[in-house]
Amino acid sequence: MTSYTVHPRSDLRSGFFWVALGALIVLSSWRMDRLENQGATLYSAPGLWPGIVGLILALMGGALVWRSRRRVRTSNAKAIVAADDGPQLVPRMHFWLAATMFFVYAVLLVGRGLPFWFGTWLFVTAYVWVFRRAQRAPDVVVPQWRDALFALTCAVATATVVPFVFERLFYVRLP
Amino acid sequence: MFDGLVAFGHSLTTFLDPLSIGIVLLSSLVGVIIGALPGLTATMGIALMTTLTIKLPSNQALLVLVCTYVGAIYGGSRSAILLNIPGTPASAAACLDGHALAKQGLAGRAMGIATSGSVMGTMIGMFFLALFTPILGDLALNFGAFEFFWLAVFGVVIAGTLTGDDPLKGWIAGVIGILCATVGQEGIYAYERFSFDNRDLAGGFNLVPALVGAFGFAELLMAARERPPPVAVDRFDSVIPRLADLLAHWKTIVRSGVIGTFMGILPGVGEDIAAWSSYAAAKRASKVPETFGKGSIDGLMAAETGDNACVPGAMIPVLTLGIPGSAPAAVLMAAMLIHGVRPGPMIMIEAPSFVYDVVAMMFFASLGILFYGLTLTKVLIKVLMVPKSIIVPIIFVLCVVGSFAIASRLFDVWVMLGFGVLGYVLRRLDYPVAPLVLGMVLGDLMEKGLRRGLVLSDGSLVPFLTRPICAALWITIVIVVLLKFPAVRAIFRRRSAAAS
Repeated sequence: MTSYTVHPRSDLRSGFFWVALGALIVLSSWRMDRLENQGATLYSAPGLWPGIVGLILALMGGALVWRSRRRVRTSNAKAIVAADDGPQLVPRMHFWLAATMFFVYAVLLVGRGLPFWFGTWLFVTAYVWVFRRAQRAPDVVVPQWRDALFALTCAVATATVVPFVFERLFYVRLP
Repeated sequence: MFDGLVAFGHSLTTFLDPLSIGIVLLSSLVGVIIGALPGLTATMGIALMTTLTIKLPSNQALLVLVCTYVGAIYGGSRSAILLNIPGTPASAAACLDGHALAKQGLAGRAMGIATSGSVMGTMIGMFFLALFTPILGDLALNFGAFEFFWLAVFGVVIAGTLTGDDPLKGWIAGVIGILCATVGQEGIYAYERFSFDNRDLAGGFNLVPALVGAFGFAELLMAARERPPPVAVDRFDSVIPRLADLLAHWKTIVRSGVIGTFMGILPGVGEDIAAWSSYAAAKRASKVPETFGKGSIDGLMAAETGDNACVPGAMIPVLTLGIPGSAPAAVLMAAMLIHGVRPGPMIMIEAPSFVYDVVAMMFFASLGILFYGLTLTKVLIKVLMVPKSIIVPIIFVLCVVGSFAIASRLFDVWVMLGFGVLGYVLRRLDYPVAPLVLGMVLGDLMEKGLRRGLVLSDGSLVPFLTRPICAALWITIVIVVLLKFPAVRAIFRRRSAAAS
């Protein structure tokens, strides 16, 4: 049985998505102003290029769908993922927790009136504290206060050094 | 020839002041550390350093970026040898023999070989950069809208073909990049496309935040998904490169240097392909190919020479055509534009000395990696031991700051987040990200080439197909694409079997 790094059904879904996106782009390009009042011809109309690219995307998506359907059939829909030598994964909740922290920091803590150093301090403290504990082997026991102190130290260092380097040394504005 | 040497000598002297030497040492160190840390790539490092150096004078800022680039490509070999984890994709080939040597107790010697190979590779690439840039620059003056259109298509097609396991997905990633480049005002009538009446979107996506997202934030999301591998480093022998290794493998060095440079010149191909191609060529030429993968010095030398030779090679199309040879070179090109340098066919007329300045920067960068190759080993091991739970939030803070710093707008932070998620999803679905970048960089050139060409030819496609350079390019593209079809490959296989 052939093995693929990604399940053909994932390719099938992504193929359909590209077909739909390509078709949507072709449609919006067709509806764009042709700017004939400004002397634009068919060849210089703003919608020409995105229309062509959208069409190519839809065709490629179609090719991916066609290929994936064949692979789904030939692989007996059981394929796949020879991931024995791949990386070990963390529990799914850890990933979503990390992603949420990233988004909370970038969208809510930065540029919303909070001082940059304070938002950064909060984010780094939380991240280091949570994941230092989460990634430790279960048989290693470390008091909570030591992890918290370590996380606070990392956060203070980051919240001090980053603004200093960017603002004071390189005159770059911070959010 | 001698004019070039004089200009190179002049460029060397302009960087011989304490500040520039300090910049070389500091930025090479940053590059080596970024390269050595698995998950941090050269592209991300250069993108972050671009934002940090935005207020510096252009020569100093570009010196920082070139040293970071060379340092990062070299630094990846450290973790490849010591941990069997490539610090950057370019060092994946170095894992095979580098780590095998380390397991035999020869980690120091392996690092010495990586250092000498990287320095020699950069020097060989630098030689070709100085030699070919003026020649290609002259040739590029003959390029018009028609040629630039095909050249841009060629870049995206080649990047899509060579940077992943699946060409179809590579091409789709390239097309997505081209579509991203269509967002905002178009180049002829300033008509707003796909902006949804949003003022920020009308300006289009800024390349640096998009790259920080696609290469930085996406990597952090991948890192958040994977359990960090245990880090254990044994004692190692001397890291000082041996002259005997250089002399014994001079043919491999020259061959890999040439291959690496050539791979760099090809738009969008990049250092990882250069390393693998050099490695494969060395294996084919070797009298003992069975030792490859089991600690072959020849194999390690080939991989490390090839990927570092690719760095100056990737600068050749940037400088002469305004087309990046690799993803990190795309960021470097964006940085040049930010600093008021306009790479492209006119560079040998407008600023010929700049080309030799870049050659001189490469020279100093190679001295930087030589310096850290001899001195930094123990410190670097300490850095490799730092847990990801500390590195990841700090890098993310830098991604946010770096995206904001380019234009001081929060919109760029959101662009970074958006491209990070896109890059993560594409990676998870096994789409390569490098063609996406090439598509974003070359999309504008492609569109202008097509629309201007069509206007000039009054809607005729004939010049696109019959002008000599255009014909060579489109025929190559068609062959590259056709050869990826299983049916076409089967015909060739049958024919070659019948012939033999």
